[in-house]
Amino acid sequence: MAITKVASPKDLDKLQKQCQTEQDKHKRKLMVCCGPGCLANGAAEIVTEFKSQLKKKRIKGFSVEAMKETGCHGFCEQGPLVVVEPQGTFYTRVKKKDVERIVEETLRNNKVVDDLLYTAPDEKTYRDYREIPFYKHQKRIALRNLGHINQCDIRDYIAVGGYQALAKALNKMSPSKVIEEVKTSGLRGRGGGGFPAGRKWESCARLEERPHYVICNGDEGDPGAFMDRAIMEGDPHSVLEGMAICAYAVDSSEGYIYVREEYPLAVQFLQEAIREAEEYGLLGDNILGTDFSFHIKISRGGGAFVCGESSALMKSVAGEVGEPRAKYIRSVQKGLYDRPTVLNNVESYANVPVIIDRGGKWFAKIGTETSAGTKAFSLVGKVVNGGLIEVPMGTTLREIVFDIGGGIRNDRPFKAVQTGGPSGGCLPDDKLDLSVDFDTLTKAGSMMGSGGMIVMDEGTCVVDVAKYFLKFLVDESCGKCTPCREGLYQLYLLAVKISEGMATENDLDKMEQLSGVIIDASLCGLGKSGPNPFLSTIRYFRDEYLTHIRDKRCPAGVCKALITYEVDAQACDGCMACIHACAANAISGKKGEVHTIDQTKCDKCGACFAVCNRHAIKVA
Amino acid sequence: MVHLTIDGTRVQAKEGEMLLKVIKQLGIDVPSLCDHDAVEPFGACRLCLVEITKQSWDGWKKYVTSCLYPVEDGLIVNTQAEKVVEARKTLIDLQLARCPGSPEIQQLAADYGITQTSYEPKIDSDNCILCGLCTRICEHMGFAAISTVDRGPDRRIASPLDEPPPDCIGCLACAINCPTNVIPYTEKGNKRTIWDKEFELITCSKCGRKTITRDFARALSKMRDIPEAYFEVCDACHRAETATNMGRIAGWSRREEAAS
Amino acid sequence: MTNRFVVTPNLCIGCRTCELACSFRHSVNGKPGQTRIFAVAGPMKEMWVPVTCLQCEDPACAKSCLVDAISRNEETGAMEIDQEKCVKCMACVAACPFGCSIHDQQHHMIVKCDLCGGEPACAQFCPTKALVYQPVGSAKPKVVA
Repeated sequence: MAITKVASPKDLDKLQKQCQTEQDKHKRKLMVCCGPGCLANGAAEIVTEFKSQLKKKRIKGFSVEAMKETGCHGFCEQGPLVVVEPQGTFYTRVKKKDVERIVEETLRNNKVVDDLLYTAPDEKTYRDYREIPFYKHQKRIALRNLGHINQCDIRDYIAVGGYQALAKALNKMSPSKVIEEVKTSGLRGRGGGGFPAGRKWESCARLEERPHYVICNGDEGDPGAFMDRAIMEGDPHSVLEGMAICAYAVDSSEGYIYVREEYPLAVQFLQEAIREAEEYGLLGDNILGTDFSFHIKISRGGGAFVCGESSALMKSVAGEVGEPRAKYIRSVQKGLYDRPTVLNNVESYANVPVIIDRGGKWFAKIGTETSAGTKAFSLVGKVVNGGLIEVPMGTTLREIVFDIGGGIRNDRPFKAVQTGGPSGGCLPDDKLDLSVDFDTLTKAGSMMGSGGMIVMDEGTCVVDVAKYFLKFLVDESCGKCTPCREGLYQLYLLAVKISEGMATENDLDKMEQLSGVIIDASLCGLGKSGPNPFLSTIRYFRDEYLTHIRDKRCPAGVCKALITYEVDAQACDGCMACIHACAANAISGKKGEVHTIDQTKCDKCGACFAVCNRHAIKVA
Repeated sequence: MVHLTIDGTRVQAKEGEMLLKVIKQLGIDVPSLCDHDAVEPFGACRLCLVEITKQSWDGWKKYVTSCLYPVEDGLIVNTQAEKVVEARKTLIDLQLARCPGSPEIQQLAADYGITQTSYEPKIDSDNCILCGLCTRICEHMGFAAISTVDRGPDRRIASPLDEPPPDCIGCLACAINCPTNVIPYTEKGNKRTIWDKEFELITCSKCGRKTITRDFARALSKMRDIPEAYFEVCDACHRAETATNMGRIAGWSRREEAAS
Repeated sequence: MTNRFVVTPNLCIGCRTCELACSFRHSVNGKPGQTRIFAVAGPMKEMWVPVTCLQCEDPACAKSCLVDAISRNEETGAMEIDQEKCVKCMACVAACPFGCSIHDQQHHMIVKCDLCGGEPACAQFCPTKALVYQPVGSAKPKVVA
């Protein structure tokens, strides 16, 4: 198909109609989720199978083009997902062998394949995914197109109104009006800091020095977080459009998207999207026939956590070692190549087209007074419904964990939810009714962060959690400044000491004092928030720390040095499975006789516990 | 010019000047390990931490590293605030844990009343405090032969692939400026070895004294357009040459005077 | 630069008062420092010449300094070393064709003549006027350095 450049808003309207007509040809559409979770569970195979089945069976009124490979639909727990639109028929855990049935039953005969539908823990089965509690309580703005359009097709994006916001900004709004609109919306940076985006844009636009740069932070480094990845892979054009609008507002002609090397698919799709957008004249020189030009380049990072920090990121984009610098001079003034730079993250940019399209006031009405709009989270951990969600700011943690997330797996008691990534914090059950917004979370000792949310049950030991996140931060510290490099390391060693039952209460005091110094003296945000895993757990779970220290006991049964594995003589049937599983040769006993564990040899690996079918191995 | 108050003393400073410089000019003892005028401030050791506030800040205080903080009008600086001294002490304690065998750090710790680190001392420490002066100076001089490698507590200074650095010219700037003197080098005859790379030292063609390395001289003449011949003679022999030349000219003028 | 050194080797008696004056003027912690001027005997010791920095127009010392620690004091015209900037790499010591950047081994620093801020002690103390520091063209110079 020959592509003519979109040279005016009228052209874009025409193109949108054309694209919509293309879409309307298909009465039904088959959406195969190709988000990270579903791909990992074999979505690619399902796509291939659908293609060959559709080719073979030739369903009347359903062409291969009506099958879309979409971005993350959200309900990763149930993947791979296949959705038939517009009915919303929602097939979960689809396997290759199920494809033929879907084609025959649903596509040919208009029947629902019942056993592939989602069944909630309460045995209720749902036909339309929009009715499922997981989806029902969400509101999607940044993730609006995910799961609904072909992730690699600009025409799909245009059909749903893509690039109209850019056209509106370029033709009907002055740069200062665009900034005004973003300020009105109350959009705050979704990368974690929560700095008002409009104010950031304004301070950059005001600076006379040229050139100005626009950067998108796609260096999502928090373990368990994949919101930005899902957007970059599932709806790359929304990011490009948001960046272009920003560039117009701050008078920039050059932008960078910083993507970590671990996201090759995001890099590929973004590259593809940039190429497409340039072909259509929606990016590059003379966008939409105006004299505004904006070029976006992709900069690949090595996946260092610290490169998500703005000054380190800019150094990395410039080809230097990604180490932070002190920000007494803000990066808006002295950013990339020491020039004025606007840096926002993927989710922030994805929100921008909607704000311009529907108005800042509309956006400001969603969410809370100080935190407008919605926020995407990746909900993971011991929760029933894990996945990618987006909720209005101000939603309570309880709603997220229990309504959307469906509560704790295996009906175990809830213990804590960890928000804000490694440098965030753990909130206990009495904080479940807190509203999820920037200020409330910070006040409670955690933070919004980029949107990772890890749910923990009673089988999680907070000392172990603190230890894990401290180790992560120690490993990811760039090592430039002493408090972060040495301080976090010593903090980690002290946490290890506690988990081994070797610590005293003095060590706790020492940890709190050291944490204070790390916060005051560290150079960048990573160090300044580094002690959070310890501080937020000691704040709400001091008793559990004290149990480790005073009683030398780990209530959750996690800290190896403080637990012992014992054989329950009543339950043991002498099957010898544990004896074979024990690598330390610590278990002895004859077949049919009760086995015993030699505690001096046991290395507490837990292999016996795992293999015992009779639950005869007890943790004490 | 901006006006600020440091530990109760009102001072003037040039705009853009870093706070630490002004503090040091006042003779106030604020320790710093990673600061050097030859290179940009870095902010790695964090010892020059000070407390700042302003009349207009309503009692709000901030803790900043003075090496990186440009002076501001109306700034009220306290270099010995309780929290600052406590943080400094902790930082030195942490450095001592990293470099238990460094006499320089031991001395600094002793100045702050620390004889033994209260943290877990590093075993087999190389006593490098990772101030990065060596790499920053090397890079600033235009060679960038060494750099920091690895992250977090594993961070260290190294040559590329831990092999003799191809870009090193053996000037010793890294070793000489190391605040804890932990970069080893040897000199034997006209051979100097540093970073496992051997260099030839130029021997003064007149007196046989050793001067800089051949590689450094070559680099200098190439980078800064200085005749390579300049480097063949040591400074003392250069002076003797100068004296001879000037004496000769004086001799001519004496003859001229006699003739006239 | 209005003043400059005028050296008349014929008048130099090799008394080294200039060196002493320099040493005292540049004392470190109350102790005499490294002299920046040298009374150097000619090859046959028949003539002595006070040798110090000529504050060249295009000085090799500053050119060789890769950290730009050597710059001209616009008031006095002296090329001065910023000791805080100097990384002691010896480049200037090796590069100066007159041997007038000197390694002070005792204090481990690189030094050179700074014209004592405009009033060089060496010239003031020279008993025979072999070394004078005077305005350019004020007397017929025997040897202008």
